[in-house]
Amino acid sequence: MANQTAKAQSFKDKPKKSFFASILKTREIGVFLFLIVLCIAMSFLSEYFLKPQNLFNVLRGMSTTAIMAIGVTMIIITGGIDLSIGSVMAASGMLTARLITVHGFYPWLAFAIGIGLGVVLGAINGLVVTRLRVNPFITTLGMMSVARGLTYLLASGIQGTVASNIPLKDPGVGFLGGGYIGPVPFPLIEMIFFVILFTYFLNHTVLGRQIYAVGSNESAAHLSGVNDRKVKLFVYTLTGAFVAFGGIMNAGLLSTAMTNTGTGSEMDVIAAVVLGGTSLSGGEGTIIGAVIGAAIMAVIRNAFVLLKLPQSAQTIVIGVVIVMAVALDQLRKRNK
Amino acid sequence: MKKSSIGILLFAVLSIMLIAGVTAVFAADEALPAFDSVCQPADEGTVKPVDIKPEKPMKIAVLGLENNPFWIPVKEGTLKAAEELKPYGVTVDWIVPGDQHTAEVFGAAIEAAIAQEYDAIATVAGDAGVAPFIDKAVAAGIPVATFNAETLTENGRMIFVGADLTKQGEAAGKAMAEAIGGKGKIAIITGFFAVEAHELRRKGLVDYLAANYPEIEIVATVENTDKADIAFTQANDFMSANPDLAGIYVTAGGPFGAAKAVEDAGKADSIKLISYDFVDETMEYVQKGIIYGTVGQDPFAQGHDPAIRLFNYLVGGQVPECARLLTRSDLVTKDNIDQFWTKPE
Repeated sequence: MANQTAKAQSFKDKPKKSFFASILKTREIGVFLFLIVLCIAMSFLSEYFLKPQNLFNVLRGMSTTAIMAIGVTMIIITGGIDLSIGSVMAASGMLTARLITVHGFYPWLAFAIGIGLGVVLGAINGLVVTRLRVNPFITTLGMMSVARGLTYLLASGIQGTVASNIPLKDPGVGFLGGGYIGPVPFPLIEMIFFVILFTYFLNHTVLGRQIYAVGSNESAAHLSGVNDRKVKLFVYTLTGAFVAFGGIMNAGLLSTAMTNTGTGSEMDVIAAVVLGGTSLSGGEGTIIGAVIGAAIMAVIRNAFVLLKLPQSAQTIVIGVVIVMAVALDQLRKRNK
Repeated sequence: MKKSSIGILLFAVLSIMLIAGVTAVFAADEALPAFDSVCQPADEGTVKPVDIKPEKPMKIAVLGLENNPFWIPVKEGTLKAAEELKPYGVTVDWIVPGDQHTAEVFGAAIEAAIAQEYDAIATVAGDAGVAPFIDKAVAAGIPVATFNAETLTENGRMIFVGADLTKQGEAAGKAMAEAIGGKGKIAIITGFFAVEAHELRRKGLVDYLAANYPEIEIVATVENTDKADIAFTQANDFMSANPDLAGIYVTAGGPFGAAKAVEDAGKADSIKLISYDFVDETMEYVQKGIIYGTVGQDPFAQGHDPAIRLFNYLVGGQVPECARLLTRSDLVTKDNIDQFWTKPE
């Protein structure tokens, strides 16, 4: 036990640089520069790009992806993956909307139950991965289907057996996804809050450092007293909570929980995480990187509409950017 | 060796001719309408079963979807048909093969219906991959009707009940042109570039406007994968890039996302939105005047008519005057919405 504390302490001591120095030395600086260059280029190519209205739209658009990416970053750092996030977000948003609109629950209780569903589904992922030793890819692929089915189940019964969208018209819960404070979209504020909180958590708490330890060398971490099962269970469960939050934000934005919410969003989120420098083999990566990754994709999507370019080109460019970013990162590592 | 291969060849040619001959005789006997003949029947949605009770009980399979609210009235149509056919000893089964409309899912469901010895099958057939399965059912002596969406690949189905998607696109184009006064900038949000039905609607509008309203400029075309949240972001981007935007056309799912963006921006007066179908979320925005108009396709008839017409064919020998029975493409606006929709409690 003493050994565990000492070891954890040494993980904790590791990043003791000044905040700005650590930013400059981080591996994300490359993609961050890419984002800046992209934005500068856009500001010349379109007179509308730098308008506050447009920038806030872009930032609002990326905030749900970024919030979900916080959890997924941690999972990928442990060497895992989560493909179920799109379905879990749909199920959680649908449950919250259903409880409020159909069953007349007190809105914030329905919100808590919606988050609770995400936590339970995330915990099931974590338990299957750690206890049944099923590969995370397979586990969460299964959950992707289960949670989508659950979404249809929660969405039906209102008008017969057909799955329907369910309105979510509570202004309080809806504010999480669709609110504005002055010109600033509230989801952006939520994103900044969670990113700061969990960046601190990941770098300056024992559990946070253990997440890196499990990912960089699982058996070494295990031998040095890290409860790797507990750590993994934690990251999947936490991701479930974030994803549920994202689902409720999504339902709040349009005052409607939709059955097709989040299909394909697992790829968006994983792409943002990887673009931000998190290694799919585990052990390294940061939340801020994922945020930058999400921003790059949001700016590219915005750019294509502003510049009136065909969508086929957009889809190709996003794919190329993801591969290029990771390839550059590999080159940088080799040259070190 | 050579002789035997000539023999095989000859046999093959003969058998093909025989099959073709038999098929031709069979087809002539039934006098089915040509695959791509088109008409708009007067009894759409109200067609009655012929008053003949078959000797044996019959069963008809209707293969549909339940993954979004569009299907609510379709299913209601099928249930109504089931009720109407019940006195004749006919069971109509509403079957949902899966949550997505793909050839694998619907093909397997058609095979299952053949195995379960249904007397007739009605199915969604938006995908060319479904065609061979339809032919398999027809070869097994089971007449097939398609509804809602059908592939352009020719197959043995007797009738199709649904919208002409190109005509819907043209109707939307006409509505758009009238709404914005024949000129200005419009943007398009389509469901999927890869879905034939969405492309036909998109091209229907684009070609109609190009031919009739050269002063209307299409400034962007994007896909939202049927999602309202993506449409919301895209509509915002359109408005950022084009302060003088006059219209947004949404070909498939999630138009209320675009409507929310237009509403939030306070531009409902200057930007005319045209969308499809009568789902509640869309209709609320039509009622508020934020969606200018939405084009329907009579989903009730799509669920109702195939089963009845298949029964009439099997029992009464009635053959519709054409193969593509088009359903109405009503344009619903704030002014006529009361005829089509009432707000749910």
